[in-house]
Amino acid sequence: MRSALVIAAKDLRQRARDRSVYVFAIVAPLGLAAIFGFVFNPISDADFTATFAVANVDQGPLAAPLVDGVLGGLAQDGNVNLVHAASAEEATRLVEGDGERADQDVDAAIIIPAEFSARVQTGQPAELRVVQNANASLASSLALAIVQEYARQLDYVQGAVATVVSSDPARLADAAAIAQRAGTTPSPVSVRDVSATIKQLGNTTFYAAGLATFFLFFTVQFGVNSLLEERHAGTLSRLLAAPVPKRSIILGKAITAFGLGLVSMLILIVGTSFILGADWGNPGGVALLVVAATASAIGVMTMVSAVARTSEQGAVFSAIAAVLLGILGGTFFPINQAGGVLAGLRYATPHAWFLQGLGDLAGGSIGDIVPAIAALLAFTAVTSGIALVLLGRRLNP
Amino acid sequence: MKALAIAASNLRRFARDRANVFFVLILPMLLILVLGSVFGRGFEPRVGLVAPGTGDLTNALVDGLEAHDEFAVRRHTDRDTVVRAVERGELEAGLILPPNYDDAIRAGDAVEIDFIARPGQDSLSIRRAIDALLAEQMALPRIAAFVAREGDMPYDQALARASAVTGESVGVHVASTVAGEPFIGRRSWGQFDLGAQQQLMLFMFLTSLAGSAALVQTRRLGIARRMFATPTTVRTILLGEGLGRYGVALVQGIYIMLGTMLIFGVRWGDPLSAVLIVAAFGLVGSGAAMLMGALFSNDQQAAPVGVFLGLGTAALGGCMLPLYVMELFAPAVWTAAHVMPHAWALEAFEVLALRDGGVGDVLPFLGILLGYAAAFYVLAIWRLRAVLTR
Repeated sequence: MRSALVIAAKDLRQRARDRSVYVFAIVAPLGLAAIFGFVFNPISDADFTATFAVANVDQGPLAAPLVDGVLGGLAQDGNVNLVHAASAEEATRLVEGDGERADQDVDAAIIIPAEFSARVQTGQPAELRVVQNANASLASSLALAIVQEYARQLDYVQGAVATVVSSDPARLADAAAIAQRAGTTPSPVSVRDVSATIKQLGNTTFYAAGLATFFLFFTVQFGVNSLLEERHAGTLSRLLAAPVPKRSIILGKAITAFGLGLVSMLILIVGTSFILGADWGNPGGVALLVVAATASAIGVMTMVSAVARTSEQGAVFSAIAAVLLGILGGTFFPINQAGGVLAGLRYATPHAWFLQGLGDLAGGSIGDIVPAIAALLAFTAVTSGIALVLLGRRLNP
Repeated sequence: MKALAIAASNLRRFARDRANVFFVLILPMLLILVLGSVFGRGFEPRVGLVAPGTGDLTNALVDGLEAHDEFAVRRHTDRDTVVRAVERGELEAGLILPPNYDDAIRAGDAVEIDFIARPGQDSLSIRRAIDALLAEQMALPRIAAFVAREGDMPYDQALARASAVTGESVGVHVASTVAGEPFIGRRSWGQFDLGAQQQLMLFMFLTSLAGSAALVQTRRLGIARRMFATPTTVRTILLGEGLGRYGVALVQGIYIMLGTMLIFGVRWGDPLSAVLIVAAFGLVGSGAAMLMGALFSNDQQAAPVGVFLGLGTAALGGCMLPLYVMELFAPAVWTAAHVMPHAWALEAFEVLALRDGGVGDVLPFLGILLGYAAAFYVLAIWRLRAVLTR
C-alpha cells in the first residue's frame, strides 16, 4: 500500500509540472462553459411578450369582452402589449411594418369588423380577422388561438340559447338571461395543471456539468496513460524488478488518476458555481456522483489504454473513446431528443448516467440518485475487471 | 520547388497520423449525423397520454390528439411513468384521462383531465392546442349539459337537439392571413444542410489549430533548423510551412463538402462560390495555425489549447447555435459572433443556400475572410522569422 502511495505521489508531482493537464482539467471546461453560457443562455431566458395591434371597428357589446376582457386582462398581467389601431388597414400595416409606428415589432393584428356584434346577435354570418406576422409564428399563433377561443365561446352561447328556444319558443324573451347563464356554465371537461418538478439541469448547469464530465475522461487519462509512458521510458521494467507487488503499481496509477479526476471536478464545480452561477445541487449527492463517475472514468480509460501497445496509441485510443462517449452520452446537446436508437444508446455511456443522476438530484433527494450510482459502479466494475486482466498480461518484465 | 516539397512532407506527416482517420474523417460525419437527427427535423413536442377508458368520447379525444400536427403522442399505461418522463425531459407534457371519461360526461358530471408539464414556456402552446381540441369536441356536450340543467329536457335529448340546431347555424368565422416574408428564405433547409455548414467551419478551423502542434514540433525537433542550414531562404521555409497548413485545412474542407454531399445529400449551392468560400476560410484557419505554431514552444500544450480555442471560437461564431436564432433572440450575441471569421463564412453559405447566390454575392464575404487571413499570416510570419530556429 505504501509503495502505491509513493508511486502516486511521484506521478502527481510529474503531472503538476505538465501544463497540458491544467488546460484539459480546468481551462478548457471552464472556458467553454462560460462561452456556451454566453451563447446559449440569452435565448432560453428570452422574455416572451407578444405585441398585438387591435382594431375594434365594431365597438359593440360583443367586442368588449374580447378587447377589454380577454386581451385587456393579458395586457394587465404583462404577457401582452396592445397597440390600438383605428382601422383594419392601419392594424394590417402595423404588422407588415411600414406604418407610422413601424419601429414596434407587432406580432399580429386582431380586427373586429364593423357590425360584428349586430350580426352575431341577429344570427347572421359574422367574421373576426387575424393577421399574423410571418416571422413571429409563436406570438401570432397565440393571437389566433385567443380569437378562435372567443369565437367558440360565442358559438356555444348562441347554440345554447338556440337549443333552449327551439324546444320552447316562448323562452325567446328570456334570451339574454339564458345567454348569461350559459356563459357562466363551464365545460364538462376541465384541464388541471399539475406542475412536474424539473428533474433536469438548468442551462448553465447543464453546460457546466456536461463539459466537466467530458473533460473528466481526458484528465483521468493522464494518470492512466502514465503506465504506458513508463514502459516507453524504460522505467516500468525497473519498477517491476523492484520488490514491489504488481498490484501496488496498478493501484498507484489508479490513485493518481483518481486524485487528478476528483481535484479537477472539485475545482470545476466550485468555479462554475461561483463564476457562472451554476447550481449543481445537494453537495452530498453531488460528491457521491462525482466519486462514482471518476471511478467509472478510470475504469473505462484504463480498459481502453490496456488495449493499446504504445503510449502514443494509448493517447489516441483514449481521446477517441472520450470524444465518442461524450457525444453519445449527451454532454454537448440533449441527445435524448434525437429519439430512437441514438437516444437509447446514451445509456451505454457513464456520461449519460452521471448527468441523469444530477438531474434526478435536482428535482428530488439523495435517494433518487441510487440508479445512477449503481450504473456508474457497474461500469467501473466491468471495465476495471477487463482492464486488470489485460494489464496483468502486459505487466511482465 | 522547395516550398512545395516542404508542404508535401507536412501533408505526408498529416496523412500518416492514424488518429486523423477518426478526428478528421469520421468525427465530422458522425457529428453532422447526430446534429441532423437531434435538431434537423424541427422540434416536435412529445406528449405522453394515459387513456384507460373506452367509449366514443374517449376515442374521439385520443384520435384527435394523435392526429394533431403540433405534437406527437406517446401512449403509456400508467401515470408514474409519464410523470417521470416529463420530469426528465423525455416528454414535453403528459395527459391523464380518467377511466370514466365517457360515463361522467353523459351523466352531466364534471370531468378533470390532468395536464403534467414542467413550468415554463414550452408547455403553454401544447396546453393551448389541447384546450382548443377539447373545446371543439365538448361544444355539443356542453350545450347539452346546460340545457339539461335548465330542466328543459334530459341529456340525450338535449344532445340530439343541440346537434340539429347548431348544424343549421353558421357561427362566427375566424379568418386568418399571414403578412410579410418569412425570414427563413425561399428554399427550406434540408435536414442536414445547416449542421453540415456549421461543422465544416468548426472542423476546418479546429483541425488547423490542433494541427499547429506539428509546426511547433518542427521547431522543437530541430527540423526547421536543419532546413535553415541548407541553402534555403527563410522565405521558402515559411512559404512551405504555410502551404502545408493550408493543405491540411483544404483537405478537411473539401472532404466534408464532398462527403456530406454523398452521404447526406447536402446541397452547398453554386459550386464555384462554395469552393471559393472553402479556399478563403482555409486561409484563415491555416493563418491562425501558423500563428499558434509561432507562439507556442511546447507541442503538448499547443494541441489542447488548439482544441479549446477551436471549439470556443466555433461556438461564438455560430457553429453551434445558428446565426439566425441569435439574430431573432439575442442580437448582442449575434454581434459578438461576427468577431469570429466563422460567422462571415456561414453568412456567405447562407447567401448561396437560401438566396441562390453566386460568386458576385459572396465577394464581400470573401474579402472579409481574406482580411482575417492576411492579419493572421502577417503576425505569424513576423513572429516566426524570430523563433523558427528556436
